[in-house]
Amino acid sequence: MPVGITRFDEGAPEEFGALSHGTHGVPRLHLVIRPHQSLTPPGFVWFIGLTAGLMALPLLMALGRPALWGLLPFFLGAIAAIWWGLQRSWRDRDLREDLVIWEGWMRLTHKAPRKAPQIWEANPYWVRLRRIPKGAKVPDYLTLKAEGREVEIGAFLSPAERRSLHALLEREMLPATGPAP
Amino acid sequence: MADAATTGHDHEQRSFFTRWFMSTNHKDIGILYLFTAGAVGLISVAFTVYMRMELMQPGVQFMCAEGARFLGGFSGEECTPNGHLWNVMITYHGILMMFFVVIPALFGGFGNYFMPLMIGAPDMAFPRLNNLSYWMYVAGVSLGVASMLAPGGNGQLGSGVGWVLYAPLSTLEAGVSMDFAIFAVHVSGASSILGAINIITTFLNMRAPGMTLHKTPLFPWSIFITAWLILLSLPVLAGAITMLLTDRNFGTGFFNPELGGDPLLYQHLLWFFGHPEVYMIILPGFGIISHVIATFSRKPIFGYLPMVYAMVAIGALGFVVWAHHMYTSGLTLNQQAYFMIATMVIAVPTGIKVFSWIATMWQGSITFETPMLFAIGFLFVFTVGGVTGIVLSQAGIDRVYHDTYYVVAHFHYVMSLGAVFALFAGIYYWIGKMSGRQYPEFWGKVHFWTFFIGANVTFFPQHFLGRQGMPRRYIDYPDAFALWNYVSSIGAFISFASFLLFIGIVFYTIRAGKKIENNAYWGEHAETLEWTLPNPPPEHTFEELPTPDMWDKQPGH
Repeated sequence: MPVGITRFDEGAPEEFGALSHGTHGVPRLHLVIRPHQSLTPPGFVWFIGLTAGLMALPLLMALGRPALWGLLPFFLGAIAAIWWGLQRSWRDRDLREDLVIWEGWMRLTHKAPRKAPQIWEANPYWVRLRRIPKGAKVPDYLTLKAEGREVEIGAFLSPAERRSLHALLEREMLPATGPAP
Repeated sequence: MADAATTGHDHEQRSFFTRWFMSTNHKDIGILYLFTAGAVGLISVAFTVYMRMELMQPGVQFMCAEGARFLGGFSGEECTPNGHLWNVMITYHGILMMFFVVIPALFGGFGNYFMPLMIGAPDMAFPRLNNLSYWMYVAGVSLGVASMLAPGGNGQLGSGVGWVLYAPLSTLEAGVSMDFAIFAVHVSGASSILGAINIITTFLNMRAPGMTLHKTPLFPWSIFITAWLILLSLPVLAGAITMLLTDRNFGTGFFNPELGGDPLLYQHLLWFFGHPEVYMIILPGFGIISHVIATFSRKPIFGYLPMVYAMVAIGALGFVVWAHHMYTSGLTLNQQAYFMIATMVIAVPTGIKVFSWIATMWQGSITFETPMLFAIGFLFVFTVGGVTGIVLSQAGIDRVYHDTYYVVAHFHYVMSLGAVFALFAGIYYWIGKMSGRQYPEFWGKVHFWTFFIGANVTFFPQHFLGRQGMPRRYIDYPDAFALWNYVSSIGAFISFASFLLFIGIVFYTIRAGKKIENNAYWGEHAETLEWTLPNPPPEHTFEELPTPDMWDKQPGH
């Protein structure tokens, strides 16, 4: 599940200090939403390691001959190219949405590769949460609207994940006790 | 970006030019690869027909110094043999088939089209790089054809040095034709490496949620291993032919003994690439055959994990056996013993695969539609080629068979028949998915039987020729070899007729085949992700990643 949930009323996690807000205090909920990637960092190390190891084999054959210098650039080029390819693929999918909900305040940060992060903030009491089942950019498109600006959330998730996110947000955006301040 | 866009993004119909010339869509590029490879294949097959016409009878009737004859050659008047033309034919048949037909069709075509679909990826990792790979392949084909028509050795057109481009033959060949051929291989190699990077990245980072490496279907696995082999071995070829180029044009002496070089080193480098190349050709075929046999036996594939690791083992072993192509080049006894044992070890993972396919069919509910016929035909020809491979792996026996027609028969049974039967199995299996129309079953079966008979009549007698001692790469032969050469030529003509029939079937299917509405038209045992899509699939697929219940039909695996 690419949605990570941290609830702050269940003890004090490590990031407590970083997410504290001057006026709103300790956040109630922190959601991290990221797209799916199937290559893990250890997987990257294994793949590059095996590739480099296997490529060393024909180099042994040319060791001590001028032909080594004819082969080496192509080997290094191939390793560099696959290294770049895997890293680039990670970076292309390095999207991240952070939703932090305090008592009476919420903030959505959208980070895309090679772009400055985009931030949207509002009082959850005035936020309209919309789920558009069909006809939008993706099925079950999820948006948050407040202060004249409508933003998307979780557009890269699967429809089922967006539906459960919708249910979660409907629940969590309600004030904890009593009316909004 | 983060701001909502509720209007959706239905874009207008792309024009023909935009769709096919500027395509970044993996399915369109896959189709482009298949058709281009088919066209180059037709050229390359036409060469073989011409060569078999020449070899049909002793003496030289067609490739004359007075000018090439075609149908006029059947009248049989004597002419002066033009050995250069013959050498050009065998060279470009080899180069085109090795670099520009089989790998682009199986790896570029089916790999591009079905690998992302089967792992549930929306497209390749780098769609524009994919477009570049395809057009570099086209550029490579053009350079290859240009090389054939450019001034070469013996004051004639084209180079006649054999597809392996052995130094010093290739460094001494006159004219610019040889340089064009080197560039053609360079460009196609660059195209393959870019394609391999794209496919490896897609396979590693874009598998659907829950699809671990041990749950990925066999065809994506086979394409991934092929891509890895390309990435590992094509740089060796690129380095070797670059050194050839500088030896030819810039006075270096990498392969020139007078300047301290070593011509044998070229052979080592070439075969360090060349042996894995054989597995690059056949591995995607293994993937296709696994799916076809499972589908038409109505059983899941037998021994999924051993099948995966057998492919991995074949790929790995492919890198440590190259010198079995060079037993007669003066290797030491210990080297020969090592390469002989290592080569025989390959029979183990190959055996695992063949027996697992048979075990998949065992007690299955088998039906014999055209794809299944081609898959069973594949099992037969691949096993025949594999068995003669064991014979040839013996360094002692290889001294007798080296450079005879026995070798020609062996590698055509494994590579050309093996890969081509798998290719046809894949085309008949998926043509309904790709085009939305089904091929005519009767003509598919006619194609199978004519091709199966024609191919075996062509290549089986070449074992006999090899045992008689007929050397390969010659335009003429003594009368003693006449009988089986005649039979072999008849077989080649039957195969060529079946190929023309196949072209007819493909165009009939695309224009007038019966429309198929059922997504999984081969039944419920075709259970990879492409069968959840309509025929043909829409332009964009799996923009919403598929969930495990769509593809994980055998959770026990």
